[in-house]
Amino acid sequence: MKKSNSEINRRQFLKNGAFAVAAIGAVGVGVNYLKKLNEENALTLLRPPGAIHEDEFIYACIKCGLCVQICPIEAIKLAGISDGLSYGTPYIDPLAQACDFSCDAMQCVETCPTAALDFIPFKKAGEDALIEYQKANPTPGPDYNPFIVQSQSMKATTKMGIAVIDHKTCLARNGKGFKGSPREDGFKGVYRSPNPKRKERKASPVNDHIFNRELCDLCVTECPIGETAIIMEEKIRGNGESIWRPMVLDGCTGCGVCVMVCPSTPNSIIIEKLEVV
Amino acid sequence: MINLKKLTPIPAKRREEMPNSKLGITFKEWKANKPNKHKWRNIRWGVLLFFNFLFWASFAFDIGVLEGSLSGSRFLGIYLMDPFNALQEMFIGSRTGYFTMLTMNFFIGFFIILMFYFLLGGRSFCSWLCPYHFLAENAEKLHNYFVKKKKIKEHTYNIGIKYIFWVGFLLLAVLTKNLVFENINPVGIISRAIIYGPGLILLWVVVLLLFEIVYSKRFWCRYVCPIGVTYSFIGKLSPTTIKFDLSKCGHCRDCQDVCLVPHELWFVKRGEATKEIHFAGADCTRCGLCVDICYGDALSYSIRGFDKIT
Repeated sequence: MKKSNSEINRRQFLKNGAFAVAAIGAVGVGVNYLKKLNEENALTLLRPPGAIHEDEFIYACIKCGLCVQICPIEAIKLAGISDGLSYGTPYIDPLAQACDFSCDAMQCVETCPTAALDFIPFKKAGEDALIEYQKANPTPGPDYNPFIVQSQSMKATTKMGIAVIDHKTCLARNGKGFKGSPREDGFKGVYRSPNPKRKERKASPVNDHIFNRELCDLCVTECPIGETAIIMEEKIRGNGESIWRPMVLDGCTGCGVCVMVCPSTPNSIIIEKLEVV
Repeated sequence: MINLKKLTPIPAKRREEMPNSKLGITFKEWKANKPNKHKWRNIRWGVLLFFNFLFWASFAFDIGVLEGSLSGSRFLGIYLMDPFNALQEMFIGSRTGYFTMLTMNFFIGFFIILMFYFLLGGRSFCSWLCPYHFLAENAEKLHNYFVKKKKIKEHTYNIGIKYIFWVGFLLLAVLTKNLVFENINPVGIISRAIIYGPGLILLWVVVLLLFEIVYSKRFWCRYVCPIGVTYSFIGKLSPTTIKFDLSKCGHCRDCQDVCLVPHELWFVKRGEATKEIHFAGADCTRCGLCVDICYGDALSYSIRGFDKIT
């Protein structure tokens, strides 16, 4: 009686086990197929700061969303099922809400438990900057503030992508100025202005900033990194006419604030993802 | 499945000798004996809903008590890791060299979860925290209703295949270098849907639930879910467990009817128990349904070895 029971059990296990193995195999084939489809698609998703190479990121990210929760301006979102295997991984859509570094110290990177956003280079850059600053200021004066230096060097270490400007639609390139608020009515994006006069501690809505420029240079003045990332460059044409245009330099971090504040329609700037690592 | 120790069962008593036999007891008497029939279930659902609410509230109101989701979270600043996710990360990492990049928080979170669930009974995660369990537990009732009405047939499989799935998903993760399971994991999907808003992927959860209702009872939890298997490994020798006292048992087997993993209560069948005291095994989710229903208090929560100290 007992023996026949265990015999039935064993047969059932083998039968169901074969089904299980087949199911796992099917999932494996499906994933491999999706992975190939995903390779091009994943390149369009702009990852948060500090993201390791996409091939590693896809398994390093456990989709917990801690980076989403820590971001003070809610720039990071989780991808949906339409992004295939990237489902649940974080991305930034700079056109809707760019990363403006208003957390000051790469909080999303620091919070990531699996190093899908790798904090080590940021930590190193911050410490190096601190040591240099302390060497330069051996006696702390009234302006002594190592924190700003540290966070500035951390920001500059970021390499999410690089801004690419479409000169056909760029207002400055076409000699146009700009007046008013940069984005359409009802736009909810926020950023912290780098303009020292405003002395902002927190990010404020893009459309609360009213500009009046003879020649549009919002991408340059609002860049959180500054002149190592983007400058206005004068170019003199053959007929002696001088034109100004924004130039993206190597220091660009791909944060996307320029994309968000660009007033031209359609938007003149996009962030292109770099193949890092 | 594997029973290495072949102990001879204790000979069964006659019905009249059983102290808590339900023979000749009316429903009224039974009811009077158990005034609160859903005590542990209510506590358990309360805990489950509270923690899932806390996940949602932490993000929605930015109170930061329990951040993240069930695949990885931070409770008051202490990191917690889903153990199966962590295992996959470590296995893939040792193949690609990514292992050395993993942060200290990752390992701290992993070991805290291992210790916590070792103490609290392994698969207790399932019935006390898992949001999919909550849906599936109610789907199971619906399923039982349909079976009772003879609308559908019951389909059971061998419970051992979950170990095949566990090994298989780990292998798949290493071979494809992708957290394959996390893409189809209803626990993570529901947890993220609660916290970050619903998406189309919830359809997969609906499909699973429908399958469980109309075809095979608790298919995912019983036969597939590798998270549960990981927790069952942790809880195999866990001190917190369900104690069965043969001397108080009336062998009515009501407990097996309500149990979410009835094979763990094999010893309640008349003439099967081999010892006077039995402890529920690794698959037991410590849900307390059997404790609630037991007429003679033969089943109770206990801490193994605790009675020897006091």
